[in-house]
Amino acid sequence: MTSEVVVTLMPYFVLTAGLLVLLLTTAFLRSHLVALIVTLISLLAVLYVTPASIESGPQTLSDLIVIDGVALFFNVLFILAAIVTTVTGYRYLESRSRSYEEFYILVVTSTLGAMTMAAAEHFASFILGLEILSISLYALIAYPERGRASLEAATKYLILSGVASTTILFGMALVYVSTGSMTFSETLASDSSGTIYALGQSMILLGLAFKLSLVPFHMWTPDVYEGAPSPITGFVATISKGAVFVLLLRYAIETQWLSNASVTWAIGLIAIASMVIGNLLALLQEDIKRLLAYSSIAHVGYLLVALVFVSTSDSAGFALESAMFYVSGYFLMTLVAFGVVTVMSTGVDEDAGSLRHYEGLYWRRPMLAAALTIAALSLAGIPLTVGFIAKFYLFAVGVSGALWTLIWALILGSAIGIYYYLRIVISMIKREAEKPVERSQDLNAVGTVTVVLLGVSIVILGIYPTPLIAVVQQLIQSFGA
Amino acid sequence: MNFALTLPVEHGLVVATVLFLIGFTGVLVRRNVMFVLMSLEIMMNACGLAFVIAGAKWGQPDGQIMFMLILALAAAEVAVALGIVLQLSRRFDTLDVDAASELND
Repeated sequence: MTSEVVVTLMPYFVLTAGLLVLLLTTAFLRSHLVALIVTLISLLAVLYVTPASIESGPQTLSDLIVIDGVALFFNVLFILAAIVTTVTGYRYLESRSRSYEEFYILVVTSTLGAMTMAAAEHFASFILGLEILSISLYALIAYPERGRASLEAATKYLILSGVASTTILFGMALVYVSTGSMTFSETLASDSSGTIYALGQSMILLGLAFKLSLVPFHMWTPDVYEGAPSPITGFVATISKGAVFVLLLRYAIETQWLSNASVTWAIGLIAIASMVIGNLLALLQEDIKRLLAYSSIAHVGYLLVALVFVSTSDSAGFALESAMFYVSGYFLMTLVAFGVVTVMSTGVDEDAGSLRHYEGLYWRRPMLAAALTIAALSLAGIPLTVGFIAKFYLFAVGVSGALWTLIWALILGSAIGIYYYLRIVISMIKREAEKPVERSQDLNAVGTVTVVLLGVSIVILGIYPTPLIAVVQQLIQSFGA
Repeated sequence: MNFALTLPVEHGLVVATVLFLIGFTGVLVRRNVMFVLMSLEIMMNACGLAFVIAGAKWGQPDGQIMFMLILALAAAEVAVALGIVLQLSRRFDTLDVDAASELND
């Protein structure tokens, strides 16, 4: 192993080391604050070593993982999600649980799993990363010691996600039978590949569509989002979607499996169904977590436009660029939205799910209401927010690939979306019917500051996205090594 | 000793597929969460079998390595799952997955 490989792999080494330190600290000293500090230090240390890792160039490690600019970009997003989750979740946990430290261990392990998926180039690293992520999430969703909702959500997620994982595994086995290789770039369709190969690829696609909660595999999403503790809902919505999507992108590009017209058709149909049905069902929701669950289904549907474009054009660069920008925007807005829900749920027995909790928020907690407004407007794709630029990017991708049906679905979905995102904003302006229990102090001040800062960054990136675009363009140069 | 190699790959794949479908049916039909988890295990092992067969077809050790990874993953999954089942029986007083269905539109 040369020194360059070590430098490139540094983010993974640092996070693994941080995880071990966290485990040992927890074994000897059970302190909530210490666990939070150790977690934050290891996460920040990963961010600190990432630039050097980018500098030393893309590296492929024994066919298993390839660490390139794209993987490192997504790693930074995952770390950001983990930092926001732990910081906003700190006070929240104190009101919900008696044992805190395992929460941070599980957050770090799932981040490690997601980082592995971002760099996976082989079926082994693919399934290992996916399962490290999923198994940590089962425990995280069931984390609160009281309450039945979180347990029900965890049970549903455990069974359904288990079925999806095994479907992916069986698909991998079938692909391996027909191609004799498990490295993505060598599992190409050849003349000899027949039904078994096609069946295997479709099983992998089905399993991934389930993990991305695309229509018609979306049934679990609202229940899991509603039942999971709020910081974890935000974490699931960002990190698991982001990791699976980057894996799907890399897989689609390297196996060229989208060059098959019927696969492209299937993905296009799934995308349209997700955009339309996700947005339509979101209209009916009275619970903000369920509403955001359906909105996340629609957002992943939008993202698929970039995936379809990969197949219809020679250069994957533009599609990758738009997908990376969209995912970063989606991470920011989702983290803010669930961050606000977390802050609102701190110090009360049940999560502030119902939209009634948000009535009159502008008068009670203006900063929080402003952050949620920015997130809602950004999710709706209103100009001056990062959501608008991201959607515009996908639109441009669709136009240059002449994917007109998908563009119409995107426009239709966004138009429906504006209605229910504005409902959140309007319910915050509305004076509440009965006087709520006034709390003398903000119980989660750190959380409030975090979501406000993220809200500001949504606006800044919405007005001046050039730096982020430049970074993305520079990083995709090294895609796939 | 060579009889394993003369076994056609298709036969092995058919067995694996049948196992997979038995497990899948179990997940769909069974209501007791313990049986659902057992069905999931059957599906996992069907995948393992398929990998071993594929590895034998190509004469590579990769299939068996994947099988060992699957074993580890299944063990980890069951460890977490049993913890959740324990909590389920405490908080809901039942192991019936249909009883735990309070989250709805």
